[in-house]
Amino acid sequence: MQIDWLTVVAQIVNFLVLVWLLQRFLYRPIITAMARREERIETRLSEAKAARAEVEAEAERLRDQQQALQSSREEMLREARQEAADLRARLEGDIREEMEARRKTWRTHLQDEQDDFANRLRQRVGHQVIDIVGRVLRDYAGSDLASEVAGTFTDRIAELDAKARDKLVDAASRAAAPARVDSSVALDPDARTRISRAIHDSIAPDIEVEYHEDNALILGVRLTVGEQTVEWSAARFLHRLETTLDEVIEGGSRPRSGRAPATG
Amino acid sequence: MEISPDAWVFYEWRGLSLNATIVFTWVVMALLVLGSWAVTARLSEGETVSRWQVALEVIVTTIRDQIAEVGADQPGRYLPFIGTLFLFIATANVLAVVPGYQPPTGSLSTTVALAVCVLVAVPLFSIGERGLGGYLRSYLQPTPLMLPFNIIGEASRTIALAVRLYGNVMSGTVIVGILISVAPFFFPVVMQVLGLLTGLIQAYIFAILAMVYIGSASRTRHKTENPSATNTGD
Repeated sequence: MQIDWLTVVAQIVNFLVLVWLLQRFLYRPIITAMARREERIETRLSEAKAARAEVEAEAERLRDQQQALQSSREEMLREARQEAADLRARLEGDIREEMEARRKTWRTHLQDEQDDFANRLRQRVGHQVIDIVGRVLRDYAGSDLASEVAGTFTDRIAELDAKARDKLVDAASRAAAPARVDSSVALDPDARTRISRAIHDSIAPDIEVEYHEDNALILGVRLTVGEQTVEWSAARFLHRLETTLDEVIEGGSRPRSGRAPATG
Repeated sequence: MEISPDAWVFYEWRGLSLNATIVFTWVVMALLVLGSWAVTARLSEGETVSRWQVALEVIVTTIRDQIAEVGADQPGRYLPFIGTLFLFIATANVLAVVPGYQPPTGSLSTTVALAVCVLVAVPLFSIGERGLGGYLRSYLQPTPLMLPFNIIGEASRTIALAVRLYGNVMSGTVIVGILISVAPFFFPVVMQVLGLLTGLIQAYIFAILAMVYIGSASRTRHKTENPSATNTGD
């Protein structure tokens, strides 16, 4: 067992050199490479984590967006349904109103037609009745309907109450035109004379009298002095007849409306 | 029969002899440095790594983990010294299977040199850690009365390190030499194989003991600076 101190010193130097060389060529490069690799892996891991977090955030955002879209879609659908319901209700209301208006127009038209028909019927029936009555009077009683009418008219003038008579007198004094007598049947000269006389006696002694025929009167006489009119006719009887006819036409189901009864 | 490679002189000039110990040390050094350089010159920092790089990384990482296991706070700080001790001794011992090769660790000069390095390294690392005053105070621990014993312990463990390694390696070589003369073939081969194992174990023991000595100096510091930590452990 011997120690060569020179060799010892040399070995110490050798060892220190080896430490330096290995530090230079082995430990430092290896540790640096490992550290860099770990750092890179760490970076990539953190990047992956960040990317994952980003993706999760994106997914969350998309979920929220989808939810918002869903809710807005439901809201829009609800609004659309509401609008459709409103529109339908409005259209139905419009149609109902239009139908009601048409029905009203139709009813008015029908009423008018009915009135017109009744009017014509009354006219025809009235004339027919008068014709029959005139024939009956002529054939069986030897009397004339015109003269009967004239007689009745003169009687009625004579029986006029004071107020009505005053109105007629007043109208005659202001009238520039002659008094007008309308009758449903042609009056013979005798009847005309009687009527003129009655007018002159009761209303105005010097008023001129004109005679006209008016089929609308059916049976009766109408005296017009200025703005005053006095009428005697069979209209009241004919009105009753018309009422009866109306009831027959409508089966008694429709009430009469807007019809002013004729005076007699 | 040559017991020490120191006696095998290759060249002598003015009293300076170039013996086998130094030459084979250079061989080992060249092998280690060139091998390391060949691998680390083409280091990969990416995902694909060469086998040699993996091998070096495993070796370096293992040494670092062993240093950390002994209790060092910063294994990287001790890695060049301890790692080189292990790699040098291990390589020098493993190459013993090569015919004509004499392990430099079989020379007491080499082991003494390594032990002296450890002897110097312990106070150097300790002073680097805690300063000169702190290191010198550790000789007075636990009481100033222990000062001579601490100094004797320091010297004796250095001698023990040197002699342990020398004795193991030298004895292996000597035993093989004796067995060759007694039993020509079989036993020397077995003993060589056993010598490989012994060589690696010795390298490990030497390096770990060096680290334990250095680490014990660090632990002394921890004890003095953080007594509450030890009290709670009692």
